[in-house]
Amino acid sequence: MKKVSLLTATALLGGIAMASAQDAASTVTEAPPAAPYQKVSELAPLPDFIPGLGQLFVDPETLPAGPFLAYDHDGKLVSTVYMVPIEDLTPDKGFDDLVAPGGAVDHVDVHYNAGHPGVETPHAHIVLWHVSKDEEARVAQ
Amino acid sequence: MLNRRKAIGMGGGFFAALALPAFPASAEAVAEIVMGGRVGGSHVWFDPVGLLVQPGQMVRWINRDPGNAHTATAYHPANSGKPNRIPPGAQPWDSGYLLPDESFSVKLTVPGVYDYFCIPHEQAGMVGRIIVGAPPTDGWQSASAADDGLPQAALQAFPAVEEIMAKGRVEPR
Repeated sequence: MKKVSLLTATALLGGIAMASAQDAASTVTEAPPAAPYQKVSELAPLPDFIPGLGQLFVDPETLPAGPFLAYDHDGKLVSTVYMVPIEDLTPDKGFDDLVAPGGAVDHVDVHYNAGHPGVETPHAHIVLWHVSKDEEARVAQ
Repeated sequence: MLNRRKAIGMGGGFFAALALPAFPASAEAVAEIVMGGRVGGSHVWFDPVGLLVQPGQMVRWINRDPGNAHTATAYHPANSGKPNRIPPGAQPWDSGYLLPDESFSVKLTVPGVYDYFCIPHEQAGMVGRIIVGAPPTDGWQSASAADDGLPQAALQAFPAVEEIMAKGRVEPR
């Protein structure tokens, strides 16, 4: 009886955890994501749609690293982006436990960026694509 | 912020008019400097990075980078305490952030060497140099504090005065 209860509880908790993860993902799959995310172009003087990335949202509390959520012209999530300042990649500093709310990752790009309003030092864009390589075209322009 | 951007974009000189006397100028007299950037933001630049103009000539910066905002900001203590790198008696300027296709203009009247930078990209070496007329031999260049606080990437990006004087226009590297 105890075993059954434990199994039931485990299944229940597992179900709740899975549902929570799905809920979290479902709240960000379409723009605009729920608070505390805010549109980046309203937080910093940047274009609303950035070619190559898309329309960005971020929780200001997580700056500069992010995650930034990137959407295509139809408001569909295409990637989760982290922006890590090069000067912060030192033996004494790191970025741990960055959340990944966007769900399954298809592939990852890492690029140098010279800076922009909001992250005004050279940094790395770490792009977790939730769409295939071919579908990156959705945010090319 | 929106009004400010529009004022800069439409007039190409609203803030310049606050800082400097506004003079009518013929279209031929405008010297244009493009703010550019590679898609993805890995490289940004002023083009030309070095420019020779005549006293009283209008200089216009325009942002042609579709994915980024830029500024044209004079090196001067009035701009975030930066060291002075414009001629004595010249007025400093700061365009504020220019979004794609927005522009900003100033009329430079005092002869000498003017150094400027892009606020979000100074660390990446996005700087430029304008010479108005002929450079004086005893300008700010002789001040030991002129380099204070400038990132190495910026110091290495300024074209030499001699190169600007010889070519009139120096392309970004």
